Amino acid sequence: MNPPGTGPEPVATRREFFLRGLRAGAAVAATGGLAAWLWNRHPPGDFGRAQASDPRKDFSVRSAGPRIAIATGRDRAAMLRRALAAVGGIERFIARGDRVMLKVNAAFATPAILGATTHPDLVAELARLCRAAGAESVIVTDNPINAPESCFELTGIGAAARAAGADVFVPRPGSFRAGTLPGGRLIRDWPVLEEPFAGITKLIGVAPVKGHQRAGASMTIKNWYGLLGGRRNQFHQDIDGIIVELAMLVRPTLVVLDGTDSMMTNGPTGGSLADLKATNTLIVTTDPVAADACGATLLGKSFRDLPYLVRAGELGLGTTDFESLHPARVPAQAS
Amino acid sequence: MGDAESAACKAHCPLQELVLRRPKVLSLRGITNAMRRGGPPGWAPVAGQFMHSFWQTMRRCGHGQSISSQSVGWPSCRLPTGMQRSKARSPGPGERAIAACALAVLAAVLAGVCIQQARFDPAVVMSAAGPPAAAATTMPGLLERWPAGLLPMSGAEAFSPGTLSDKIDGKADLYLSAGFVSLNDQRVALTGGSGSWMEVLVFDMGVPANAFSVYSSQRRPNAADAGIADYSYEADNELCLVHGRYYVELVCSDSSDAARRAAETLARAFVGATKVADHANIGAEQALFPPEGLIAGSIALVPSDVFGFDRLKNVFVARYRDGGNEVTLFAANRGGPDGAAREAAEIRSFFVVDCGGRETPAPPAPPGASIIDLGGSFEAVFSAGPYVAGVHQAPDLGSAQRWLAVLSRRITGGRQ
Repeated sequence: MNPPGTGPEPVATRREFFLRGLRAGAAVAATGGLAAWLWNRHPPGDFGRAQASDPRKDFSVRSAGPRIAIATGRDRAAMLRRALAAVGGIERFIARGDRVMLKVNAAFATPAILGATTHPDLVAELARLCRAAGAESVIVTDNPINAPESCFELTGIGAAARAAGADVFVPRPGSFRAGTLPGGRLIRDWPVLEEPFAGITKLIGVAPVKGHQRAGASMTIKNWYGLLGGRRNQFHQDIDGIIVELAMLVRPTLVVLDGTDSMMTNGPTGGSLADLKATNTLIVTTDPVAADACGATLLGKSFRDLPYLVRAGELGLGTTDFESLHPARVPAQAS
Repeated sequence: MGDAESAACKAHCPLQELVLRRPKVLSLRGITNAMRRGGPPGWAPVAGQFMHSFWQTMRRCGHGQSISSQSVGWPSCRLPTGMQRSKARSPGPGERAIAACALAVLAAVLAGVCIQQARFDPAVVMSAAGPPAAAATTMPGLLERWPAGLLPMSGAEAFSPGTLSDKIDGKADLYLSAGFVSLNDQRVALTGGSGSWMEVLVFDMGVPANAFSVYSSQRRPNAADAGIADYSYEADNELCLVHGRYYVELVCSDSSDAARRAAETLARAFVGATKVADHANIGAEQALFPPEGLIAGSIALVPSDVFGFDRLKNVFVARYRDGGNEVTLFAANRGGPDGAAREAAEIRSFFVVDCGGRETPAPPAPPGASIIDLGGSFEAVFSAGPYVAGVHQAPDLGSAQRWLAVLSRRITGGRQ
């Protein structure tokens, strides 16, 4: 029976059913293909997000124990040698066959005299000492976002490293891998420098003492910021939080904090020699928190003025009471 | 379908009744009756009755075992044409399985989207906020013609508010809070084999006041005036200036005479080649501060977060020698007495409530002034006409009172 005004009831044939099915399948496939084509597999930082791994880097030498030496003087290379000797000698930390990474601060393409970056004299001497201790290779790296090649060259770090037999690794987008820091709130599925760490057995951080407009100070822990990729500037919204997580991220073999000249004003870039103050100090230690607590005093601050240091100390990432490590004080005239 | 079958359908199918007797069932009574017929006894809630009736209808007409689509007389229950064939037979097990799979896939996609969106992914957030670092563009050059003795080392680069921190890291906040628009940057080398070079940074701050703000906030102590453009100074290896809306830094790789001379030449060339609509002039604000004891070059316009108070913005400050100590005076024009008085009250509240200060007995002049003891230093604040002004970090009460009196006389012209 048909209702009034209608024709025979349409019936779908098998052929029609298959055609409709094919059309529906094609529509689904096209939609899926479009979605796959538009999907950004490499969001802003251009890093591989295929697997977010644990990015922690522990290169500490536990047998060496916590040690700190504070050298005074003007000659960076001489201070470094004396401070290293005071913590047991470079051989205590670098063994024959080690592959060493020097994480420098090469964030800005500015001349070394401005104190915004790691001084090339320190890079050269440290690379030479590592080589002399039997290191198989020494790599110098950092991740300055803007014009990395210029940063390494204009700071003098690149030339100094190469002259001392070290290689300079300039990160590229593929050098990072997504990592999620266990217990971290900010470093989650975030690009962390990975490529140059392949085969690395020891890590030494080398940073200058600088005031920092936002963080209060930029020293050895803030220096690990250069291991992060992506649009990391947003971390400035929680600068103390990210520095604490950097302390969680990296356990170095040693850190060298250069307070020969400290940037007292207009940090972290500075720009004028007038921003610097001769503080004539170089710190070598296994504990970055202790290094920064000591470095803060060169800026006329206490670790209590730097919330990230207080928090790092509370988390047991090091000690803010650097005096408790019984620093070996190495005066200039000792050389 | 025969009449008997049609009658059977009518007898059991409230939905059919709804359709066939549309004029009636569109009334509330008709709907209620239709529902009641299909619902079990005791189903009081109307919604419950409706759902029960609908389910029965579907079961009988669409999936019924007792009444087939043929026997029910489908046209009598006719719904919109597209639905007819789906009602014509029950879906087979394969169709049900495919439908279940499709729903499962959709549910999985929904769950995935929810999980991903719930997780904080700053990289994605920032990608929407600004272009990546590589977006710093290379331009032909800051100047069409460079002065003799200077050669570009590279093309110019440009930075926006979204990429400024790629260039100057943690110092970007200073510029951003002061109204930063763009940065153009280029390095040039001195010819003659000295190896010296300099970096030229041209910050477009939008308006001259903003340019003066970042200039004055970073002015190096003991810097010498360079006598170029609206304001300028030279500090060792660096020359900084304000030219209208532009704040310019020329940073030399050393402080040799040749480098400094080249910086001065380049600064003058830039000023000559760059037309600006307005010039920076803080003469009126400068006049608010007494000249006695003023530390040269210390007048600055602080754009934000003045004295750690996040709501205090765009305040002129000046540093003074006070015996062996240093005192800061501040003043800002708020457009009218009401705004100035309101802000003075806010500053007073900030020091008392937020900083835990204790208000001392009010000084005799100026009227309405407050002095707050912060335990080791003293703050003072008052308003006069459109101005809110005061003293910051006076070493003792006497110093705070003295500077307060001097500043209020200066601002009011002795009218109070």
